[in-house]
Amino acid sequence: MPNVMKKKRNFHQASPGWNIVFNLIAGIFAFLCVFPFVFVVIISFTEEKTLATDGYRVIPKAWSLDAYQYIFKTGDTLLRSYGVTILVTVIGTVVSLLLISLYAYAVSRRSFAYRRFFSLFAIFTMLFSGGMIPTYIVVTQLLGLKDSIWALILPLALNAFYIMILRTFYITGIPDAIIESGKIDGAGEFRIFSTIVLPLSLPGLATIGLFSTLGYWNDWFNALLYIDDPNKVPLQAMLMRIESSMQFIQQNSANGSISLEVLQSMPQDTARMAMVVLATVPIIFAYPFFQRYFVQGLTVGGVKE
Amino acid sequence: MVGSFFRSFNRNKVMLLMVLPGAIWFLFFSYLPLVGTIAAFKQYRFSRHGFWYSLVHSKNVGWANFKFLFSTDAAWSITRNTLLYNIAFIVLGLVFSVALAILLSELANKKLAKLYQTGMFLPYFLSWVIVGYFAFSFLSMDRGLLNHTLEYFGMDRMQWYNDPKVWPYILVLVYLWKSIGYSSVVYLASILGIDRSLYEAAMIDGASKMQQVRNITLPMLKPIIIIMTLLAVGKIFYADFGLFYQVPRDSGTLYSVTNVIDTYVYRGLKTTGEIGMSTAAGLYQSVVGFVLVMVSNYVVRKVDKDSALF
Amino acid sequence: MSKMTKKTGLTAAAAVTALSLALSACGGNEAKSDGASSEKPVELIWYTIGTPQKDVDTVMAEVSKYTQEKINATIKMKMIDWGDYTQKMQVLVASGEPMDIMFTSAGGFDYVQNARKGAFLELDELLDKYGQGIKDTIDPGFLSGSKVDGHNYGIPANKELPQLEVWRFNQNLVDKYKLETTGVRTLDSLAPLLKTIKAQDPSITPFAMDKNYVPYVPYDYLVTNMPMAVKLDGTDLKVVDILETDEMKQALNTMHKYYQAGYVAPEAATTGSTQDLMTSGKWLLDRAQTQPLAETSWSASNGYPITSTPASDAVITNTSVQGSIMAISANSEHPEKAMEFLNLLNTDPVLRNMVDSGIEGTHYEKIDDKHMKNLDASQNYNMPSYSLGNNMLLYLNENDPDDKWEQFKKFNAEGKPSPILGFNFDSTKVSTEMTAIQNVKEQFWASLMTGTVDPATYLPKAIEQFKAAGLDKVIAEAQTQLDAWVAANKTK
Repeated sequence: MPNVMKKKRNFHQASPGWNIVFNLIAGIFAFLCVFPFVFVVIISFTEEKTLATDGYRVIPKAWSLDAYQYIFKTGDTLLRSYGVTILVTVIGTVVSLLLISLYAYAVSRRSFAYRRFFSLFAIFTMLFSGGMIPTYIVVTQLLGLKDSIWALILPLALNAFYIMILRTFYITGIPDAIIESGKIDGAGEFRIFSTIVLPLSLPGLATIGLFSTLGYWNDWFNALLYIDDPNKVPLQAMLMRIESSMQFIQQNSANGSISLEVLQSMPQDTARMAMVVLATVPIIFAYPFFQRYFVQGLTVGGVKE
Repeated sequence: MVGSFFRSFNRNKVMLLMVLPGAIWFLFFSYLPLVGTIAAFKQYRFSRHGFWYSLVHSKNVGWANFKFLFSTDAAWSITRNTLLYNIAFIVLGLVFSVALAILLSELANKKLAKLYQTGMFLPYFLSWVIVGYFAFSFLSMDRGLLNHTLEYFGMDRMQWYNDPKVWPYILVLVYLWKSIGYSSVVYLASILGIDRSLYEAAMIDGASKMQQVRNITLPMLKPIIIIMTLLAVGKIFYADFGLFYQVPRDSGTLYSVTNVIDTYVYRGLKTTGEIGMSTAAGLYQSVVGFVLVMVSNYVVRKVDKDSALF
Repeated sequence: MSKMTKKTGLTAAAAVTALSLALSACGGNEAKSDGASSEKPVELIWYTIGTPQKDVDTVMAEVSKYTQEKINATIKMKMIDWGDYTQKMQVLVASGEPMDIMFTSAGGFDYVQNARKGAFLELDELLDKYGQGIKDTIDPGFLSGSKVDGHNYGIPANKELPQLEVWRFNQNLVDKYKLETTGVRTLDSLAPLLKTIKAQDPSITPFAMDKNYVPYVPYDYLVTNMPMAVKLDGTDLKVVDILETDEMKQALNTMHKYYQAGYVAPEAATTGSTQDLMTSGKWLLDRAQTQPLAETSWSASNGYPITSTPASDAVITNTSVQGSIMAISANSEHPEKAMEFLNLLNTDPVLRNMVDSGIEGTHYEKIDDKHMKNLDASQNYNMPSYSLGNNMLLYLNENDPDDKWEQFKKFNAEGKPSPILGFNFDSTKVSTEMTAIQNVKEQFWASLMTGTVDPATYLPKAIEQFKAAGLDKVIAEAQTQLDAWVAANKTK
């Protein structure tokens, strides 16, 4: 069955001439996107001294592994940070997909009398935020999540933006007729949701899943606020701490004692680039993973499977 | 009245159950902290009894905290900058990411398409600080790639970081570079969701590729395009701090075109650090966004009820 | 239908209000009853700046044993990384997180600002009662200089007191091109050196600087790097716009001349740090703040000799006094114990060195009674000395001269107090104007100060914009406050 679909799809692709043009455009843009990252990789393998004299070079005069050695010296810290990041990303993505898809499905249903209210209830939160301090108090004092990995998961679990996107996928991708036919078969709402709606909205779910995976992976701010325990610091937070500390030094460069003492404890340029590499490479594989679900929604005339 | 409420509640019981976890989340993480917005009208001072006590007992100052957003000519120019950039980002971002999504969906070699897409995600992972480094390696006066190229062609070097004229273009380019790989995914996923039989029918009728895009793909994408745009409109008074602060290297001579609400607030409050004033700025941004969303949603609703946000 | 939504909306609003009430009840923890527990040690929570170290808890356990014996208190230290400190402390303090002692300074979690906002406990009485040791040990200039509106809110670390600007030279180049540095002091006196090096080796950046560079003029700024200033030798104590002073005008002209001659890196106005130049050694001179033995540590950290000559007098200013302060939190449940601890930390060498270098035999070892050597494990406990109290109790490093702290004391004694030492401008009344001025400052400052733009055209523009932003009003307000302060403090 999938094979048939594929063949059919191929037969409406652009003509060979356009295909080359399209490939060219996409290829060049992709190159422009990849190049800076490759540059980061190169810098991370450049010798620190060369960097100071020559600046960034695509082909540096001297290569070196120092940056990575510096980072792996703190081996267990790095591994633990990977662990925290992966754990948070996986649990977080599952939890948020669950919450978001339920909410989005309900507000997408015409038969739900309060759908306007709950849509607005969500959208309102996108526009207004109470700010850092009240949120901090809710998370630490009311929910008691200080230094818990749930403090990294819950604050990002829901997002009105994703709800609205997924709601649109449901409205446009799932004809009422299918749901009605499910009802006639005697299925309950939850059953319809899990056996009919979810499989039909895979591309939408994959999109939201991808966004939320990337969101969790890249998050550092919640760790800054809620995590004191060095064993629970995720990767990006480690990276951001170094970046913001570098800026602190620059802003306080007039203060002799600060700059002297801090600089000694700071990793060099190359080590920071190496951290960017280490923090990014694993997540690059997330995209192909989610992409597998970007398949044709099997909606053709309400035919299932 | 009460009876009808219960009846309606009963009918919607299952749906209410579905939104319940989300609604509770919103209550805790979004609505409860909103109480802190009172700070916008207070001269906040600490006390030993915690935040809420301090908040209630701090001095009321009415609208004074909002004044700095409007007090000088500069304050007006940052509002203008924020608006114009965001409009450019919304329009160009939309055009380019939809175009990119269509283009990617048309590629014959799916493996290659996947590769391109994965590559286009990479900029999303680079923090603005690092993007700033790269911009610098292109634009630096004596070491930059661009000036080397200019010299190679016998032209004069440019002082990029002192030339406000070019920065609107640079900022828009950098923004698009960083974001469209990410935002095109939504459109790509929607295109894949379009019923293929529509295209088959069109092919049989002899429709060209362009006609198919115009008559099938774009109309089918309309709902998601409207939603994405409406959501972006709500954020129109918020600027991406890193883009406007790190990428121009905080160069003072460029402020006429790089200072936006978020950078203005950051710079202005660096010395005084008044919580009330930063809350006021946030509230101002929210309220404008809220009004704009309400108005545009109203318009959308008039035209096409199904595409409206609520 | 629409009625229904309204109703639900109202209930939701009511729920929010109810919950927030519950919240505020949560927030205001009442102090635990502390009576009858005279034997039970008190735990003091201490927030300090710096990259969190692995062995903090181990060392603090050891420290606690010592302090429990001495003052019946144990110590829990929480470190927050450099770049996060200000922001995180703001959230922690605002939300009423329990804490007793915290680091504050002019550059991280601003001391004056937060003292005025009520973050710190006023220490006047506690100092008299439990802080006699501090009063006897620390240079009195620190305690008097760190008063805010007449009260002490923190204990400054005893270290270098005055601020002394120097010209630093890359000695390798000075030797190579036989440059004469003895007559150098003013900005203009640098010209021949810069000219020679530019002609001899164009690959060198003659005058290294980043965007924070400001030419030295004999004024003290009311707020760091804001244009309101008071002349150092002035007897009339008049607040002026620094950009309108003759000294600054002349300095800016010289800077622009230097910039045009190529002595300054073309992008100095947007350069965050000169670290690249320092590492590569491709610079001739720059300006820096010094302290005793600074030349040795500069040379050591860069790997080549760096020398210096004074560019200013040694002046004790608010900024130099507020470089590192330890304050007691306004919500501390044990302010007396905290004060006792601060007193001990600033007077007891055993405790101070343990906090600084860790456990003897594990993190460091003594070489003789004054000197010590770091052991390998010290990389798990590498603390910034300046932020942890009295520096002059510290053991010396292997290469330090025996009289290191005597040199510091001499240096401190030579500093002249700024006429406005101890006066801290309160900008509350003009906070709207301050935000606008700050933005104008950021816009013009770096490009003017580094000489990037021509002061003939840009200086009048900057002055005008500052005026439009309300600088005159701020100066008038500052003058009023200053006059009141003079009346209260300077009645000799």
